[in-house]
This record gives sequence, C-alpha cells and structure tokens, in this order.
Amino acid sequence: MAAMRTTTVLLLLAVFIHDVGGQKALSLDEKVRNLQESLYKKPVMNLNMDRWKTYVRTAPRNYSMIVMFTALSAGVNCPICRPAYDEFHIVANSFRYAYPELKSLYFALVDYEEASNIFQQMNLNTAPVLYHFPAKGGRKKSDQMDFQRHGIDAEAIAKFVQDRTDVQVRVLRPPNYAAPAVVILLAMLVLGLLYMRRNNLEFLYNRTSWGLICLCIVFAFMSGQMWNHIRGPPFVMTNPKTRETTFVHSSSQFQLVSETYLVAVLYAAVTAGVILMNDAVDGKGDPSKRRIMAFVGLGMVVIFFSLLLSVFRSKYQGYPYSFLFH
Amino acid sequence: MTAGLAGLLPLRMSFEKQETMIKIIILSLAAITAFSVRLFAVIRFESVIHEFDPYFNYRTTRFLTEEGYYNFHNWFDDRAWYPLGRIIGGTIYPGLMVTSAIFYKILHFFHFTLHIREVCVFLAPLFSSFTTIITYMLTKELKGEGAGLVAASMIAIVPGYISRSVAGSYDNEAIAIFCMLFTYYLWIKAVKTGSIFWSALCSLAYFYMVSSWGGYVFLINLIPLHVLALIFSGRFSHRIYVAYSTVYVIGTILSMQIPFVGFGPVQSSEHMAAFGTFGLCQLCAFAGWLRSKMSEENFQVLFKSVIAVAGLAVFGGVAVATFLGKIAPWTGRFYSLLDPSYAKNNIPIIASVSEHQPTAWSSFYFDLQMLVFMFPAGLYFCFKKLTDHNIFIILYGVTSIYFAGVMVRLMLVLAPVMCILAGIAVSSTLNTYMKNLDVSQKQRGKLAKGGDRNYPYKNEVAWGVVAILTGFLMTYGFHCTWVTAEAYSSPSIVLSARTGDGGKIIFDDFREAYYWLRQNTHEDAKIMSWWDYGYQITAIANRTVLVDNNTWNNTHISRVGQAMASPEEHSYEIMRELDVDYVLVIFGGVTGYSSDDINKFLWMVRIGGSTPEGSHIKEHDYYTPTGEFRIDREGSQTMLNSLMYKLCYYRFGGVYTEQGRPTGYDRVRNSEIGNKDFELDFLEEAYTTEHWIVRIYRVKPQENRGQK
Repeated sequence: MAAMRTTTVLLLLAVFIHDVGGQKALSLDEKVRNLQESLYKKPVMNLNMDRWKTYVRTAPRNYSMIVMFTALSAGVNCPICRPAYDEFHIVANSFRYAYPELKSLYFALVDYEEASNIFQQMNLNTAPVLYHFPAKGGRKKSDQMDFQRHGIDAEAIAKFVQDRTDVQVRVLRPPNYAAPAVVILLAMLVLGLLYMRRNNLEFLYNRTSWGLICLCIVFAFMSGQMWNHIRGPPFVMTNPKTRETTFVHSSSQFQLVSETYLVAVLYAAVTAGVILMNDAVDGKGDPSKRRIMAFVGLGMVVIFFSLLLSVFRSKYQGYPYSFLFH
Repeated sequence: MTAGLAGLLPLRMSFEKQETMIKIIILSLAAITAFSVRLFAVIRFESVIHEFDPYFNYRTTRFLTEEGYYNFHNWFDDRAWYPLGRIIGGTIYPGLMVTSAIFYKILHFFHFTLHIREVCVFLAPLFSSFTTIITYMLTKELKGEGAGLVAASMIAIVPGYISRSVAGSYDNEAIAIFCMLFTYYLWIKAVKTGSIFWSALCSLAYFYMVSSWGGYVFLINLIPLHVLALIFSGRFSHRIYVAYSTVYVIGTILSMQIPFVGFGPVQSSEHMAAFGTFGLCQLCAFAGWLRSKMSEENFQVLFKSVIAVAGLAVFGGVAVATFLGKIAPWTGRFYSLLDPSYAKNNIPIIASVSEHQPTAWSSFYFDLQMLVFMFPAGLYFCFKKLTDHNIFIILYGVTSIYFAGVMVRLMLVLAPVMCILAGIAVSSTLNTYMKNLDVSQKQRGKLAKGGDRNYPYKNEVAWGVVAILTGFLMTYGFHCTWVTAEAYSSPSIVLSARTGDGGKIIFDDFREAYYWLRQNTHEDAKIMSWWDYGYQITAIANRTVLVDNNTWNNTHISRVGQAMASPEEHSYEIMRELDVDYVLVIFGGVTGYSSDDINKFLWMVRIGGSTPEGSHIKEHDYYTPTGEFRIDREGSQTMLNSLMYKLCYYRFGGVYTEQGRPTGYDRVRNSEIGNKDFELDFLEEAYTTEHWIVRIYRVKPQENRGQK
C-alpha cells in the first residue's frame, strides 16, 4: 500500500517535470492545439506568468492575441473593471461562436491578483488595459485600445479587433433573463397577494396608505435621493488629517448621503407640524389634547424650520437669512 | 361695527363687492409683482436678450415679423452651418415667435412703435403675469378662492419659475408654463362639467402648448394618467368619457398640424399611452352600456371571454414582434432604460450638459424655499378630501417631482404644482385659525356665554399660528427676491464684476466684437468659432457661421474642433477647405472670465478626434507626461503649438495683467504662459476687444504665386 502511494507521487512528479520541461520547447503546432483546447473550454484564457511567456511572449507565433489587463478581485478599487471584463467576455464569446476553428486570434486575460509581475513587466499602472499582440512584428502604439475615447462597449471592442486583425466579430449579447424574471416574479407575487385577499380589496382604496406612499416619494425626491442614486456620494466624509467627520458637505454642488437623510427627516417633521396644527382644530377629541396638539405642531414647525435653515446656511455661504439657531 | 368698517371705504359697498374688490387688488398686485421682479437684469444692464438660444429665437422672430408667416415657414437659413444650411421652418416650435409677432402687430396697429427686441425681452415677464392669473383660476377650481389667491401670490415670485422667465430670457419655456397651466385649468373645467365646449377649449389650449414647447409630451401623458387613475378608482363617468374623448381626438389632430411634430402623435412611443387610454375609455363606456342592456350573468360571461381573447391577442402580438425582431424584451439594455441613471452613464452628450444634471436637495430648497414642506402638507389635504380633480393635482405633483429629481431644468414644471398645493395648505391652515381669532372683546364674551366647547388659550394659539405663518410668508418673499437678484439675473452676454474698492465694471466685449464684425467685414464673410457662440454671431453680427448651438451635425463640429486643435499650417488647410474668412476666439486670461475657449479646449480635442479625419488628434498629446492640462512652460508641445493656443495668447506674452506677476500671466489658469514669443504665419489679428475677451483673426489669402 505504502509502496503504491510512493509510486503515485513519483508518477505525478514525473508528469509535472515532463510538463515543465515540455513547455519550454512547445512547438507552434502544440501551442495552437493547446490554445484551441482552451478555447473549447472557455472563450477567454486566464494567463499566469508561464502561460503569458509561452503563448504571448515566445517567438514562433502565427496567431494574434487580444489581452485584457485588469483587476477583478474585490480588494482592488476598480469599479469599471468588472463591466469592462463583461463586455470583453461578450466579444470573446461571440468570436468563439462565429469562428471556432479560425486559429489566428485568441482572447486572454491577465488578472492583477494572479500575475502582478506581468503588470510590472508591461510597465502598467492602470487597469483595465486592452492590448493587441500581433502575429508578426512588434506592438505599435495603436495596438492599445483607447477606452477613454471609444468606451468599453462590446461593439467598440469588436471594432478595435476588426481594425487590428481584420476579423469581424458580430457581437451577440446573451439574453438576460434575470430582469424579466424578477419583474414577472414580483408581478405574480403582487397578483397572488391580491388573489388571496380577493374578498377584501378595500385596502386598495385606503386613502391614508396611498397618501403616505405619495408623501414618502415626495420626501425622497426632495431630499435628493435621486442625486445620490446617480452620483453615488459617500455616506459621510472624514478629514484624513484631523479625523473630523463631516455630515454636511459645505458646497452646494455636492451632497453626502447623511445630509440627505437629515434633510428628509427635517422636511417630514415640519410637514407633520403643519398637519398637526390643522388636525388640532378639525378634531373632535378632548379639548386639552387638541391644545397640546396645536402647541406641539407649532413648536415642531418653528424648531425644525430653523434647523433646516441652519443646515442650508452651512451649504450656501453668504445666505443672509436665519431663524432661532445660527 | 360692520357699518363702521364699511363706512371707512369711500363707496358704500356690499360685502360681496368689497370681497371682490380685495380679490382683484390682491390678484393684480401679484401679477404686477410677477412682472416687476423679473426686471433686475433690465435695470442693472439694459433691455438685452440673454444667453444663447434666446438669440436664435429673437432672430427667427425678427424674420417672421419682417417677412411674414409663409416665408418663415419655408425659410432655408444659409447663415448657419455653412456650407450645409438649415431648414428653420420645419425644425422649430413656432408658438413663441408667432406670439411675439402678434403682440408686435397689435402694438403697431395702435401706433406703439416698439422694436421687436423689446417685445421679445418683455414677453417672458408678461406671460408670468398671465401665469399668476391662471394659477388663481386653477386653484380656485381645485380648492377655493382663498387658496387661489395664496397660490397666485406664491407663483408670482417662486425662483424655480423665475430662473427661466426673467426679462430677456426669450425661450420656449417662457410661454410654455402659461400654456400648460391654462390647459390644466380647462381640463379640470371639462372634467367637472363634462361639456364638449370646455373640452374643445382644452384641446385648443393643448394645441397652443404643442406649438410652443417640446415638454407637451408631459402633458399628453399626464391627462391619460388621470383618466386611468379615475377608471381604476371606480370614478369613471360620462363626464370623463366626453372630456377625454374630445380632448384626445381634437388635440391630436391639431397637434399634428405643427410641422415639427408631424406624425409623432400617432407613431412615436411616448404618445401611445394617450392612445391606449383613449381605447380603454371607449371599452369602459361600451361595457357600461352593455351592462345596462343585459342581465348580470350574461354580462359576466361576455366580459370574461373578451378579457381572455384580448389577453391572448396581446400575448401573441408580443411573441410575433419578438420573433420578427421588432422588439427585443430579453436584452439587459431594454430594462436599463427604466433606470434613470442609464442616460447619464451611457450617453456622454447628455452627461456633458449641465442642464441635464440631477437635482441636489439644496437646489430644491434654493428654488422653492417654504414650498418644500408646505407642498407635502397640501398633498395630505388633497388626500383627505379626494375628488376627481384633486386626483389630477396629486398625479401632477408626484410625477413632476420625479422628473425634477432626475433633471434640474424640469424644476420649471414642478414649481407651479408646488405653489398650488402649498397655497392649498397655507390657506386651509389660515382658514382654520383665523376663525379662532377673537378680534373684539364683544365677540369673546358672546362666545364664552354660548358655552363654547373649544380648548382654552384658543385665541392665543391662533395668534401664534397666524403670526408664524405670516412670518414664513415674509421670509418666502425675502428669499425669492434675494435669489432672483443674486442668481437668476445675469444676462451672460454682458458681464459684470466687482473691483477691489467695491465698484462695478461692465464687460461688454461680446457685443463690441459682434458689432465690429457687422460693420467691418464683408456681408458674406464666414466666421469660424466654437459652437457656443454660433447663435449670437448670426443674430447680432449677421454673418455666416460654420457651427451653432443646434448641434445636429457631429462631423461638422468635429471639423471645426480639428481646425482649432491642429498646428497652424494644418489648420490653414482645413480653414481653406471650409472657406473661413475670420476666426473668433473667447479668451479670459486678462479679465479672469473662466468659461473661455481654453477651458473648453479639451472638448474641442475630444470631439475633433472622434471622426476619421481627426485621427491625428489624440487627447493624451495635449496633456503633460503626468497627465495634467497646462498652458505654462511644462505644458505639452502639441498644446503650446495648437491654433487655439496661438490665437488666444498672441501678443499676450508682453502684457502685465496682475501686480507682482511676470508678463503673460493668465488670470484664469493662474500661471505664466509657456509660449510667449511667436508670430502667426497664416492669420493676422483683426480685432481684439477692450478687455481682450473676444479676439478676431483674419485668415490671410493664399500667396498669389505659390510658395516663395
């Protein structure tokens, strides 16, 4: 038993050694065959240092390589890398679908986490970068795709590929069933709930709930949640030197998430004060309770409005009006 | 006591008459305020048209008054987009121009010989006054006269509306808000009465709205949405059937008469909601008729089978369309359109225009002040007393706040409904508490005797509330005036700045340069400038431009960008190709005017390099190796030798601009320029304005006998 295990290990070792030794002397045919096998498995080949040297850097080549250098791991702060890679993957997939046996063009990927030394070798300090390594001759300046100008769309990448290699890739986007599925599921959920309660649909005509929904929408929009959604500002800002945390950004061109919540609460409080003041008179309850309601409403309006003004003043330098608080 | 009060008035009037008189006084005061608060720019500078687009509108209006409507309609403009030209008549909304021309004709009929420019300048404030009155009428229909008066006074000075309607901002929005509210008023009338008369009037108002602003699409979706909401809340009636059917049919036929709109109302997807609702309306009415004619069981059977057949038909239609490739509901892109951030992330031309930015909370407060918390309260009151027409105003409020949140310029659509709902809130608060005020001791005694079951200190609380509300309304007035004076009253064609000792300097360089062109150049001279100034040059200087603010042809703009970004000898070839006689650049280095051409230069490089002819222009050539955009000695050589750089800084190297600084110190970029001593080979300086803001160069003719 023990002997057998040793042989297995030895065998494995032998295979390994053979492999390493063989890679050095891979002929052109073997390289193409390996690449072709990899292409059958997946459209984009992941390059580590060895493969990078073998398939891209070593001389006998009759095929072009399109290599994307990127950083996909979560630790690296690169928000554009993931969508750029997705678009790149779409192009590679479309290519594989159209020309599975072309043997003159391959797509590959270098991830910073797996092979940061390739980045150093290529003298790259940004990601993502897309290079074309032509079959013959050295790399020219135009063999780098300009993401700044052309964008990261699959169509733009396909155009770049066509420019450099004369291979026309028709971009086929995989159908995305996720969004419609979610929509249909939601619709079915709502309809199902309605069906369960089909004998009692009165709640649909309940004004108070509709009114509350409308008020929530109004407060969300007036406090700039749409701005947050589009621009994605940080929640709070911390000054790196003084370690002070600011909740309200001091420019009117920018806002933090925290201040929008603060403002939404202030708006809601002032509005609630106004409504309380009105309901105090309309109501038919206990007179002393109604008096308290009126007082509370009045106080809320005054205090929260002054707070709102002081928040606004801290954003608009030189705004001349204030009330109660400074 | 009542007799004594009436006795104070000069005429002995009945209470109703007194009330009417007070109403008229308040309303006319509000209208006058609306007009006069918009005159800051006229008083500070002079009666002048603002900014860029209004100059185009002014030019077309002048053409309309001089040449008549038919020539206007068939106008092919050869002064813009040389050598392409532009068809004007069929590519604009003519409502604004026709309105001004009518005012002009009426005034001239009565021998008030005003220049058409004055009509254009004062049109926006005049229509704001009309808006004030129409807001009163609309709010009166919704709630009552008191609320109407409050809403009218509020809309007179709300900054969100003033920002686009000050004297001189002669743009479509100036009259469109009036048209929109007028259409709403007539729609509410039509819904209330269910008469064809009001519905037909409503569609006429809708026609006016369509003729004046592309924002009519909001209106043609809001009214069907109202009808839908009424159908689903079980409030559908014959009144609504008559109102909507009439408005939709007449309104659609009328709106198709505008050449620019054309067949849009029956073809494009944004009008399909209205069409679908029209069909649903007919079905609902038909179902109601059937129900009245047959037994309940038979009706149910019929109803269910019709629903099933219709559902199958829709499903089959979608399947066939998908199969034929007409629609593609399964790609991710289709759904990303529902996300408002889609356009911002994926369409750069929308992302680059500041008017298309989302709205931060501070601009909501800046433009609406106390309305931001009175509006939700008004919404709450509407929900408490739900009626057919209240549903309309709720829908208007909620949809418009969505649009205002996505795009800052749509604050304009939100401002009126804010005023209306805040007016309702303020007036109902005042109404409830004014009743509790004890104005005289006599009344208080009477009330106490009557065993009043109200709470103690009622009078004091009422005083407090009324005082606070009055205070709020006063701060609203102060705020609006301050915002208007500070933020919304600069014409941007005439600039003003403060000197160190607090004095005021006026920079009138733009008009100076345009008048120079008008007086000193050949009538057919072609002026090359960046597209921002195209409308102003054609309108004031009356010369031909290559590109203007109507940015419809990207390759042509790109060619101009290439000429500006290339070195001089290459630019000369492009300019010869485009027949350019003069080049005009805007330069702020002397005065510190920051939106000049050097600061816009990167856009020229980007746009110039975006077409095949501009493949030699690469953005990174214009940066320093460290990736900065600089104009001093560190700057890249491509930048320092580009045509734009040379035209801006020609002879600037010998000028002192600021104390304690070397010559050639640029006050916008705060640095000393890198390329000081150079001559121009293919151009010569023709004119530079007083503060160097506009510089004009003549393109030299080719050598008579080839190169020396």
